[in-house]
Amino acid sequence: MAKHYTIALAGNPNAGKSTIFNALTGAHQHVGNWPGKTVEKKEGTAHIGGHDVVVVDLPGAYSLTAYSAEEAISRDFIVHQHPDAVVAVVDATNLERNLYMVVQMIETGAPVVLALNMIDLAEAQGIRIDRKALSTGLGGIPVVPTAARQGTGMDALRRAILQVSSTAPNHRGSPAWIDYGPEVEAAIKTLETLIRQRPALREAYPPRWLAIKLLEGDADILALPDVVQDQALLEALDEAAGRIKAAAGEDPETLIVDRRYAFISDLVRRTVSRPSVEAITLSERIDSVLTNRWLGVPIFLLMMWTVFQMVANVSAPLLDWVDGVISGPITHWVVALLRLVGLGGTWVESLMVNGIISGVGSMLVFIPVLVILFLAIALLEDTGYMARAAFVMDRFMHLVGLHGKSFLPLLVGFGCNVPAIYATRTLESEADRRLTAFLSTFMSCGARLPVYVIFGSAFFGAAAGNLVFAMYMVGIGVAILTGFLLRRTVFRNKPTPPFMMELPPYRLPTLKGIWLHIWERTAKFVEGVTTTILLMSVIIWVLLAIPVRGGTFDTVPPGDSLFGELSRVLSPIFAPAGFGQWQATGALVSGVVAKEVVVTTLSQVYVGTAHAPIPEALPPLREDLADIVRSAGEALILTGQEIVNIVPRTVNILPGVQMPEAHFLGEEGESEDSTALESALRRSFTPLSAVAFNVFVLLYIPCVSTVAAMRQEFGPRWTFFQAGYSLLVAWIVAVTIYQGGLLLGLG
Amino acid sequence: MTTATLTAFRTLDQLLPGQRAIIQKVGGRGAFRRRMMDMGLVTGAEIEMVKAAPLGDPIEYKIKGYHLSLRRAEARVIVVDF
Ligand SMILES: Nc1nc2c(ncn2[C@@H]2O[C@H](COP(=O)(O)OP(=O)(O)O)[C@@H](O)[C@H]2O)c(=O)[nH]1
Repeated sequence: MAKHYTIALAGNPNAGKSTIFNALTGAHQHVGNWPGKTVEKKEGTAHIGGHDVVVVDLPGAYSLTAYSAEEAISRDFIVHQHPDAVVAVVDATNLERNLYMVVQMIETGAPVVLALNMIDLAEAQGIRIDRKALSTGLGGIPVVPTAARQGTGMDALRRAILQVSSTAPNHRGSPAWIDYGPEVEAAIKTLETLIRQRPALREAYPPRWLAIKLLEGDADILALPDVVQDQALLEALDEAAGRIKAAAGEDPETLIVDRRYAFISDLVRRTVSRPSVEAITLSERIDSVLTNRWLGVPIFLLMMWTVFQMVANVSAPLLDWVDGVISGPITHWVVALLRLVGLGGTWVESLMVNGIISGVGSMLVFIPVLVILFLAIALLEDTGYMARAAFVMDRFMHLVGLHGKSFLPLLVGFGCNVPAIYATRTLESEADRRLTAFLSTFMSCGARLPVYVIFGSAFFGAAAGNLVFAMYMVGIGVAILTGFLLRRTVFRNKPTPPFMMELPPYRLPTLKGIWLHIWERTAKFVEGVTTTILLMSVIIWVLLAIPVRGGTFDTVPPGDSLFGELSRVLSPIFAPAGFGQWQATGALVSGVVAKEVVVTTLSQVYVGTAHAPIPEALPPLREDLADIVRSAGEALILTGQEIVNIVPRTVNILPGVQMPEAHFLGEEGESEDSTALESALRRSFTPLSAVAFNVFVLLYIPCVSTVAAMRQEFGPRWTFFQAGYSLLVAWIVAVTIYQGGLLLGLG
Repeated sequence: MTTATLTAFRTLDQLLPGQRAIIQKVGGRGAFRRRMMDMGLVTGAEIEMVKAAPLGDPIEYKIKGYHLSLRRAEARVIVVDF
């Protein structure tokens, strides 16, 4: 009869867990978050020998101590969910450290299968492992050599999983095969006896394991209600710990870890033979260049620059294509459909086109950006370079209270804040993730640029570039100060997490692994943010449609709508910053949807060009289809062009060098007619208030998409805090600039 | 701590590239200390300094057959013998 099993994959990071997970589950997987944690949860299903098997990928961890979120999740799952089998994935080229966690898993009494992964690399390095002896040394668990990248050994692994799942009757004994030495063993025995007398504890945990955890001073275990209230048990524990300390001169925790490692060293000595002369590995040779004293930083900067170029520019043609298809053909089809049912020209049409489709569109345009970002991250992580990036940059990032790995999300933020939020997942500690995401929203993204450009050319002409540059600097400055501030307030009681980081061997990633990485994360973005973005853009549409000073629903000019009225009510708040006119406020309100919308709204309220008009005669279906295909072709060519252009753009950073950029489709003069808007702005702003306004646009609440991404990753509280903080800071800085400017006579 | 005890101890951050040492004692407290021990920094283990990062900190070490990087401040709490 077919059975349902649940198995878990656990192991150190970089041991090949994801690769094994992908091999077992194929495309049948789902990515979410562990409840209440910012740690990713991957689950999939596999069919093994006719049985349905749910495979849970536990987060990579080095120990089951429960000091980090990853460790706590892995341990709770193994101890409390009673999986039918736990596959411990280890890197066969680095058995000693990998086995440390395996031993802890076996100690919980879980039915463990050992996947001796990367066996191909171990063999190539001349490492011989006596599997039988290893299995015996680990209490008889099955040991299966695998090379997950090549798919070798996966059938044997499936058989072992099935065998363990179907035979282990959930046995909960904690094998006592590590001898922790006379002092500790005596204490374990005493505590074990006490635990066995307590049904609540005895039934929830394997007694020997619990005794060891108590002696290790495990914070989670000591906080269990059944333990906290048990005076007798705690006294016995205190006494035992005191006795150990007196006899051995060390605290029990240290002794236990030492003995565990000693046990493993001994086991490895007996079962693994290495070539007598240790060859310099390929990884070490690569590192002699990539983390070289002189080359390390330039190579790192070049890599990051390339990632930034890919996210910011290479994705642009595809982004324009998505935008074009949505505002062109898709809109046409929806309009045609509405006309067919007699709703053409009504407010329903306007809601669909200007509210819903444009809302969905503003989310879909992120997809090319995200796909490219996730590709870059997958490459950097799966090859092992990400750890080097952190190694090279940590000194610098540590100055502002961040981790070396924070650099990438912050850099990506200059392209777009949404992927930056997701890029913080590469950080290990939750505090670092939250702080980095928070700060990344102050990195001036590509969508803010059109605002600076239009104000720059309206007020500063040829010096417009200075305004743009100043905005980037203000963003960085605010981020640095915010970092200092948060470290000393919100994160005050959380000590800077240790940097301590493995530099894993360089590995060749698999296409499948990278593809799945991109796919899962992009799908999760769409799933997570659609409602928020849609809601926001419909709300703005409704506000614009409701007349309050005459006019009719949906055709009322913006100034007479509820939107205009609201802006008028809010606008006095901005008077001290020099832009108290309701139009500016309105632009800021709608700019929450996406910052480039600030420009759209400004031209709507000043020049009167509302939404692009819906055409009377729609092009025939054939033309639209041809248009989609043709523009897709063009977008691909332009993507190629942008990839090629990374080279000249990089070379041109050097002063005095001017390498021409490629233009595959001929030069196109992209001159939008914005002079009408510019002169309207000149009438309504002074140069000083223009600067204040731009600073406000830079700093205030990031767009809804970023807010939605933030909420998805960090929950509503952190997101509200961020939004409130950024509004306040934006206002303070804008007012300071305006009032300071007035004092200096710049008005 | 007096200067006398300071000079009596040698700590991990004092190793030069290529130098090896044996760990004598792991200092620090709580979660941080446990984390170091979990990563294999235990009494009696052999550790080799590989190199410092280009900006001088952190430092790359080799321990138990793998590469680990620590900030100088973190390496300072580990007493070694070399
Ligand atoms: N040569 C080799 N490479 C592998 C093997 N398993 C995984 N890899 C590669 O090792 C890297 C890390 O694997 P991954 O599954 O992401 O590790 P995880 O961090 O444990 O999930 C990837 O680049 C994989 O392609 C293997 O058995 N042999």
